[in-house]
Amino acid sequence: MNTFITAAGVALIGLMLLVLIRAIKGPTVIDRLVAINVIGTKSIVLLLFAGILFGQLEMFVDIALGYGLLNYIVSIAASRYYQHRKSLEPEHSPGGSPVS
Amino acid sequence: MEKGFQIVSTLPIWQFDVLLLILVVLFAVVALSIRNLMGAAVVFGAYSFMMCLIWAGMGAVDVAFTEAAVGAGVSTVFVVSTLYNTGATMHRRAGGVAFKLFVGVVVTVAGVFLLSALPDLPDWGDPDSPVNAAVAPYYITHTIADTHVPNVVTSVLADYRGFDTLLETTVVFIACIAIYSILRVDKAKLETGEPAAAAVPRYDPGDSLIVRQASRFMVPFMQLFALYVIAHGHYSPGGGFQGGVILGASLILLAISFDLKFLLRQWSEKTLMLLVAAGVFLYAAVGLACVFMGGNYLDYGFLNSILPGERDMARSHGILLVEIGVGITVMFSMLAIHINLASNGRFDRGL
Repeated sequence: MNTFITAAGVALIGLMLLVLIRAIKGPTVIDRLVAINVIGTKSIVLLLFAGILFGQLEMFVDIALGYGLLNYIVSIAASRYYQHRKSLEPEHSPGGSPVS
Repeated sequence: MEKGFQIVSTLPIWQFDVLLLILVVLFAVVALSIRNLMGAAVVFGAYSFMMCLIWAGMGAVDVAFTEAAVGAGVSTVFVVSTLYNTGATMHRRAGGVAFKLFVGVVVTVAGVFLLSALPDLPDWGDPDSPVNAAVAPYYITHTIADTHVPNVVTSVLADYRGFDTLLETTVVFIACIAIYSILRVDKAKLETGEPAAAAVPRYDPGDSLIVRQASRFMVPFMQLFALYVIAHGHYSPGGGFQGGVILGASLILLAISFDLKFLLRQWSEKTLMLLVAAGVFLYAAVGLACVFMGGNYLDYGFLNSILPGERDMARSHGILLVEIGVGITVMFSMLAIHINLASNGRFDRGL
């Protein structure tokens, strides 16, 4: 059981890395927002997996809840930011790609 | 005492730890090298989350909770609201090869010094290290008898080390005051001065029905959960800091999804700052009450004549009072800092 949970956790981290590439590269704002959300949601599951691994699930449920609630605010804040500051078009910079 | 550690050490989690440590370094490098600052903010959030998992892996669940609430949650919101006023594109400074070389040398030398000090650190979980040998056994064996608080972290924070936490709360208070005095713009000056606030192109705030209704539904739940975190800190990870952050975040959510004005109608600027001070005052007043009852400062046991229960229960209740004080200060500090950052000190509108 523990081996399975560990493997699943490692797989989740790998998936988070893939999504992170989308969050950094963009190119559109929607890509980034969805990527931020997906990372947050996976993090909650990862916290619960860690709780099972450490044998203290009831403590990690609290942490996961707190993280989930705050992650929601981060998502809202990020989308507000893009609503105010940017259009939903791909960002263009002198170098062609938005990030180095 | 040894049984608690055995559970952790027999689990096959070292792959997990190695992966997490690699990821932390990777995220730090990525966050520093990204030129889009919003991207950097997101990566920093992920970095904080990895740190949260590492703290949890070390068994420091309270620290993990704080990292999840403060590092991954609220500070990301602060960064976003700062970027809202400053813009997310970074301009690379031209020239300065000598300066870069100088910085590189300084960083390398400092790194070498730090690495050379590494072997002197005690091993992870070493039972003979000074931390584990001196006071920790006393705390672990005496907490229940002394204070009736099962969560040793809470009793150490608020009782055995009450002075530290009092000053930590004061640090939060001072940080709030500092940000306030740096950013807050005088209203009289604003009316005669630049009309820059009107120049920022913006849409109608709070025009999304979905976001508004979802927040309306979420805020009471968040506040209930935060109160649980404060009150249940005696038994589970949590306490005044974490609960205060979540309470403050619920009000920040209102400010973001509705409008700053909507929030300031309910919590005027004056009330906000009074409450920031009131939390620290409550903490200090509890300490002073102990002195009047004949004990030392913050020696809650002497409160047993006004609080229910014997001396040990009075200590438990004293811890709760102090946690509430911490919660109030942290909650309204977070809110005041957010409003200052989001509205650029104008307190009219923002993120």
